[in-house]
Amino acid sequence: MRDLPPDDIALAGEYVLGTLPLSERQAVTRRIASDADFAREVARWEAHLDPLAEEVMPVSPPRRVWAEIEARALGVPERAPSGLWRWLAGASAISAAFLGAILWLGEPLMPAQGRMWVSDMVSEDGAVRLAALYNEKTGEMRVSMGGAAPAPERDFELWLIAGDAAPVSLGVMPRRGQAAMPIPADLRQVIANATLAITEEPRGGAPAGVATGPLVAKAELRRI
Amino acid sequence: MTAQSTDLGALLARTALRDRAAFSALYSAHGAKLFGICLRLLQDRAEAEDALQDVFVKVWMNADRYVPEVASPAAWLNTVARNLCIDRLRARKTGGVEAEVLEALPSLEPTPEAEAIRASDGRRIEDCMGKLEGVRAEAVRRAYVEGESYLELAERFEVPLNTMRSWLRRSLISLRECLGDA
Repeated sequence: MRDLPPDDIALAGEYVLGTLPLSERQAVTRRIASDADFAREVARWEAHLDPLAEEVMPVSPPRRVWAEIEARALGVPERAPSGLWRWLAGASAISAAFLGAILWLGEPLMPAQGRMWVSDMVSEDGAVRLAALYNEKTGEMRVSMGGAAPAPERDFELWLIAGDAAPVSLGVMPRRGQAAMPIPADLRQVIANATLAITEEPRGGAPAGVATGPLVAKAELRRI
Repeated sequence: MTAQSTDLGALLARTALRDRAAFSALYSAHGAKLFGICLRLLQDRAEAEDALQDVFVKVWMNADRYVPEVASPAAWLNTVARNLCIDRLRARKTGGVEAEVLEALPSLEPTPEAEAIRASDGRRIEDCMGKLEGVRAEAVRRAYVEGESYLELAERFEVPLNTMRSWLRRSLISLRECLGDA
């Protein structure tokens, strides 16, 4: 990270205040997309100035507004989520380098992006595919289910296996689609190079916190 | 973090996962605040309704871009709304003249005021605003809350356009030094 010159700090502040004329505002918008330090400064201003909005009283919008939002946002087919996620959902054997490329091309520039770890779990018959992406900075793991769902009375459960320690449950997987799982602070230390595994458990997960079902798939977390 | 911001955070996270019920609850919880912000900035009910729709469509599309440690969920939502309304405002009030006059950027030297503020330990925006000269704090507030442009501010405070911009930029530098890097 470099220190921004005062002119840039002021420019970021002007952008957040909203005083810039349109052409300059658009130029700043482009810069935010390409200059991470500047984007971070804009984010700081946004956070610092937000309390000024406290004086603005809420006003109930008329009902028709929500109806319109529903029609526009929910009525249309879903936007494919960012390319990465759609891709992860179908991922089976991806080269780390390729996945890395997709990550950087497909994801918006995020000032808080930390180191990322990925695990692609595929069952032996290839029917169940699960991808997990862990962001070291946020401590959040995002998982994406692809392929076959578990039997109706069963759930897939995700486990973290670090070294010789007993597997620790990270939670029950969604039956399909994506989920975000925050990783508890005490596990973040061991997550690098750990192995993720999924087992098939009774609905709601292993009753005693110990895996009971068959192992479906496992894979190491790899840094990308 | 307040209970309310935790709730909004959870709703936002579920919205990112395409949970329609969570999206609807997010609208119920924070839609009125965002409508208030849009009304205040745009000063036009029909346009504010329109903007609020755009805001929530955008939130639905981009909820996965919310990064918890950068902003509170409420601040992120407020920012989406403000950005959208200010884009509309500036597109509406295209001051061709304003853009030209403002092109020559006054450069920024440290001011005694900035030094004084750095020495204080005030960290919150209210404290830091309180350390600005009254009219300068008022200019910052009017820009942020009412969405006033440099042209409008210059008229209100009866100073030339570029003087207004110098003022405001200096105020921002002073504020920023007072607020710190957090």
